[in-house]
Amino acid sequence: MSATRIAVWDLPIRVFHWLLVILLGFSWWTSENDRMDWHQYSGLAICFLLIFRLLWGVVGSSTARFVNFVRGPSAILQHLGGKGEGGIGHTPLGALSVLSLLMVLAVQVTTGLFAVDVDGLESGPLSRYVSFATGRQAAAIHDISFTILQILVVLHLAAIGFYLFVKRDNLVRPMLSGSREWSGRKVVEMKAAPISRLIISLVISAMIVWFIAKGFQL
Amino acid sequence: MMKTYVLAAMLVVSSAPVLAQAAANQIAVRHKAYEGMGDAFKKIQDELRNSSPNQAVMQANVKTIEDMSRRQYGLFPAGSGPSSGIKTLAKAEIWAQPVKFKAAQDKFAAEAASFARLIAGGDSGKIRDGAKALGGTCKGCHTDFRAEKK
Repeated sequence: MSATRIAVWDLPIRVFHWLLVILLGFSWWTSENDRMDWHQYSGLAICFLLIFRLLWGVVGSSTARFVNFVRGPSAILQHLGGKGEGGIGHTPLGALSVLSLLMVLAVQVTTGLFAVDVDGLESGPLSRYVSFATGRQAAAIHDISFTILQILVVLHLAAIGFYLFVKRDNLVRPMLSGSREWSGRKVVEMKAAPISRLIISLVISAMIVWFIAKGFQL
Repeated sequence: MMKTYVLAAMLVVSSAPVLAQAAANQIAVRHKAYEGMGDAFKKIQDELRNSSPNQAVMQANVKTIEDMSRRQYGLFPAGSGPSSGIKTLAKAEIWAQPVKFKAAQDKFAAEAASFARLIAGGDSGKIRDGAKALGGTCKGCHTDFRAEKK
């Protein structure tokens, strides 16, 4: 069987992924090193990425769309039993990982927007809409959900390690190049989305984040 | 049956639980007082986000902060620290280093007073700087005398 190169991830998904990696690390660093001004910018940038990813999950390329990879429990069990369909993109189990990462990320971003620090020096752009006590609660959840996020990232890395060392399948390379070698059963290649959708998604995401950053006040 | 247990429990009661109850009250009162001040300071900070902060709101809330800057000295009675066994973020250092702690309290009191004067003055730019200085005294004291949440 001859191997061919097929497209798996489009450029927006790859840029999203690696920017998220960088910004998560940067957010962590700024919080540990008391650079809260940069922490806020970084959080807003992640907020932008998150909104964009949700939009792209609806109107983006085929492998980005939730409807194409989010599967029910039976599909996940089949996949675990090795009887899955075996296409490209997220596996049914990988979909769970994507969804949980996005969900925790949403909690992280939202609580950050309302969080208030104990000294009354730093606060999220939407903290004006909550009391001090609620803002402190938001900060506490922000703390807990970061730990959960760290656990999910470790799981994510472990899964990549499992694929690399046990299944001899390098998943990092396609996330960089966008394509991979494929031999065997014929599969549907990734179908890219038109650039107009990308532009509209980016503009909508930017507008929402801009409103949030302004605290919904013009 | 229940009454017998209660009576038996009451007979066993010594001064230790009574002291613990006192510490619990002191810690609760302290927590509420500081939370109230946090709320007041936040309300001022919320105003300072606006291009024209509301003077009346800031003046009402800085009064809470000034009151607190006087009240604070009575909020740390001996035995109301972590040794009480009750959940508190107040560090033992408060009672181990009373001079240093008092200095931190005085710093806050001085900054609270000058913050109130700045607010009365009505110059938003200066008030914003004052808020930073005031929050800095919160932070300074918290770093040395308040435990990080685990």
